[in-house]
Amino acid sequence: MAAPSAPAVGHKAVHAPAAGPPGTSRLRRGQRRTAALFIVPFFVLFAVVMVAPIGYAVWMSLFEERSSGLGFGGTERAFAGLANYTKALSDAGFRDSFVHIALYCAVYIPVMIGGSLALALLVDSALARAKRFFQLALFLPHAIPGLIASIIWIYLYTPGLSPVLDLIGSFGGSWDFYSNDHVLLSMVNLCAWQWMGYNMVIFYAALQAVPREVIEAATVDGAGAFRTALQIKVPMIASAVVMTVLFTCVGAIQIFTEPKLLNQRGAPSIDTEWSPTLFIWKAGFVQHDYGTAAAASLMLALLGVVLSYLVTRLGNRWKAAQ
Amino acid sequence: MTRTSRSFRMTATVAVAALGLLATACGSGGDSTDTASDGKPVTLNYWTWTLGAKSTVEAFNRTHKDIKVKFSEIPSGTEGYSKLANAVKAGNAPDVATIEYQMVPEFASQGNLIDLSEYAGETVKTKFPQSIQDLVTFGGKTWTVPYDAAPQMYYYRTDLFEKYGIEVPGTWDEFKTAAEKVKKKDKDVRLASMPKSDPALLAALAWQAGGKWFSIDGDAWKPGVDDAATNKVATYWDGLIKDDLVQTFTGWSPEETKARASGKTLSFLGASWSAGGMKTSMPDLSGKWAAAPMPNWGTAAGGNYGGTSYGVLKGSEHTEAATEFITWLTTNKAGVEARLADLESPSSALPANPEMREVAAAKFDTGYFNGQDIYQLASEQVDAIVPGWTWGPNQMDVYTAIQDETAKSGFTQGIRAGQEKAEKGITERGLELAK
Repeated sequence: MAAPSAPAVGHKAVHAPAAGPPGTSRLRRGQRRTAALFIVPFFVLFAVVMVAPIGYAVWMSLFEERSSGLGFGGTERAFAGLANYTKALSDAGFRDSFVHIALYCAVYIPVMIGGSLALALLVDSALARAKRFFQLALFLPHAIPGLIASIIWIYLYTPGLSPVLDLIGSFGGSWDFYSNDHVLLSMVNLCAWQWMGYNMVIFYAALQAVPREVIEAATVDGAGAFRTALQIKVPMIASAVVMTVLFTCVGAIQIFTEPKLLNQRGAPSIDTEWSPTLFIWKAGFVQHDYGTAAAASLMLALLGVVLSYLVTRLGNRWKAAQ
Repeated sequence: MTRTSRSFRMTATVAVAALGLLATACGSGGDSTDTASDGKPVTLNYWTWTLGAKSTVEAFNRTHKDIKVKFSEIPSGTEGYSKLANAVKAGNAPDVATIEYQMVPEFASQGNLIDLSEYAGETVKTKFPQSIQDLVTFGGKTWTVPYDAAPQMYYYRTDLFEKYGIEVPGTWDEFKTAAEKVKKKDKDVRLASMPKSDPALLAALAWQAGGKWFSIDGDAWKPGVDDAATNKVATYWDGLIKDDLVQTFTGWSPEETKARASGKTLSFLGASWSAGGMKTSMPDLSGKWAAAPMPNWGTAAGGNYGGTSYGVLKGSEHTEAATEFITWLTTNKAGVEARLADLESPSSALPANPEMREVAAAKFDTGYFNGQDIYQLASEQVDAIVPGWTWGPNQMDVYTAIQDETAKSGFTQGIRAGQEKAEKGITERGLELAK
C-alpha cells in the first residue's frame, strides 16, 4: 500500500470537487496511512467478491462448449464472441421473462411502497405503548427466511392441503391461487408479506427524525392527522421513500425463489424461465450452457444499473419538488 | 444540498445497488474430495438420493478396510443433477453418484463421467441383460454400472376397489371405464392421478406404447418425442383430464400423498421401486395395497419408469476404488441385502442382475402387500419391457420443455415442445441431428 508520495497533492485535493467537505482531506501522512488501513480491506474484498467474479462472468460469456457427432468424444471450449448475447436475446423465453417481471413490478412496487408507508404512518400515530408491539409484529415475517416463507405460503395456496381454501370452500366459495389470473397476485402477496415489515421499519425510523415542532405547527394550523401524514410527514421522509423504491426495484427484478417454487407446485403460467434469474439458472444448470447464463446475467445486471439510475434520478427530482 | 454532493450520492447509490444485484447467483457447495495418503484407506465421496443408501454404506464400511465411503444425500431430479454437474465444473464432485438411465447420455456427453470400460466394462457385459447394457453403453464405452430395472407397475387399493366394485384394469380402455365408474360413484374420488409435472412418467407410458424419444442413426441423434405412439398416449391422458376422470396433483407432492393416504385416489402408476416408499409414506395402509401389471394397449408391454445406475464423476482420483464400491453395490449379495434392510427407508428396487434379484426378493418384507410377491411380479414385467429405447443427450432440457408446455396446454402440446427442444438442443451444442 503505497501512500501518495507527492506532499503537494494533499493541499490541492481540498479544491477537488469530489473530496467532500474541506478539512477532512487536510490529513497528515500518518493519518492518511491509518485511513488507508481502514479502506484497503474494503477494496480487497470488493476486488475478490465483486470485480473478479464480474470479470470472470464477462470472460465466460465469450465462450461456448462444442461437441460433435453423438457427443461422447468429450466437449471443447471455443471462442464465441458475442454469440451468447445474441442467443439469449433471440430466445423468446428470455425476452418474455422481462415482460413478466415488468408486470410483476407494476403490481408489486405500488403495493409494497404504499402498504409499508401506510403502516409506518399508522404506527407513527399510534399510542406510545402500541407502537413497539406493532413495530415488532409487522417486522416479524421478515425474520423468517424467504424460502421457508414461500413454502408456508405455498402450503396455504395448495388445494387439498390449505386450511384457507377449506375455509373458503366451507362458505361455498372457491379460489384458485395458481390460476393464470391469480398467480401473479399470489406471488405479490407472498413477497409483500415478507418485505412489508422491513420497509415499514425504515419508514418508521425516518419518521422519528421528523421534528415534532413541525408537526405541532401543522396541528396548530388546523391540519388533521390525515393531512399531516400526507403533506408533512411523507415529504419529509422522501429520501427514505426513494431509497426503498430503489432497493425494492432491484430486488424485484431478481425474483427467483417464489416463481421457482410456484413452478414446482404446478402453477401453469409460471414456467421454468418465468423470470430472468430463472432463465439464467436454467441456462447454466439445466442446459449446461454457462456462456449464455453469464451473458444473460450481465444483461440483467445492466438492467439493474439502468433502473437504479432512473429511480434515483426521478426520485431526486421528486424530492426537489417537495 | 449542492449539485455535486447530490450527483455523487446518486452515483454511489447506483453503484451500491448494482453491486448488490451482482452479488447473487453464485452458489457453491459440497465437500472437497479427500486425497488418500499412503497407508490410509481411500475415502470415497458418494452422493445419492436412493432409498436404503445409509445402511448400504454402513455395511460396506464395516466390511472394507481399504476403502471408506462417505455418503451425502442430495435431491433427486433436476436439482440433484444440477448439483452434480456444478460440482464437476467446480472440481469438488463426489467420486460416486447415482445416475438414472435417463441421464446417462447427457452426463456422458457433457464430459461429467469417467469412461468405465476399462474398469467395469466386463462386469456390465457379463452380469446384466442386453436391454439394460444398452442404457449405459454409448459410443462403444461403458459409462455407468446398472443397478436396477424399473418396470412400470400399477398399485391399487384392494379394499376400495372392492367397495366401488371395480376390477383391476388390464388395458387402457378398461382403465378409462373404471375411471368413469369411480367418478360416478363418488364425485370426490378418482381412480388415479396423472401428474403434469412428471415427464419421466409420460416417457415410461410412451415407451410402453412403442414410442422412441431418441434413437441413434449412425453418428447422429434422431429425436422422436412427438412420434405416433407418444401422441396416442398424450391424447389419451389429455382426454381423461378434460373429462375430469383423473386428478392432476403435482407429482411427488404432499397433496398427492395425502389424496392416496385418505382414499381420494384409488390407484397410481408406479414402478418396481414405488413399493419401498409406500411403507414409509403410508404406514397405516399396510395390507390394503396390491400391485398389478400396468394396463396396456391390448398386448402385454411395459416401459421403464426410472431405473438407476452408478457412475464415477470426472475429477475423481480413485476410479479403481470407486469401481470396486460400485461393483459391490450392484452385484454383491451383501450390498443388495443392506439396501433392503434399511429400517427407515428400505428400497424395493428390482436389481437388474438376475442373481441379485433373487437375493432382493428373498429379503423384501412382503407384509405390507399382504404377502403378495412383488418381486416375482416385477421380474415378469421386466420381460415385457419394449426393447430399443434410448435416452437423449439433452434429456433434462427436453423434460422441462415438456413440463412447461404441458402445464399450460396439455400433454399433446407438451410433447411438441419437447421435440422442438430436443432438436434445438442437439444442434446448438454442435451435435449431429439426423435428417
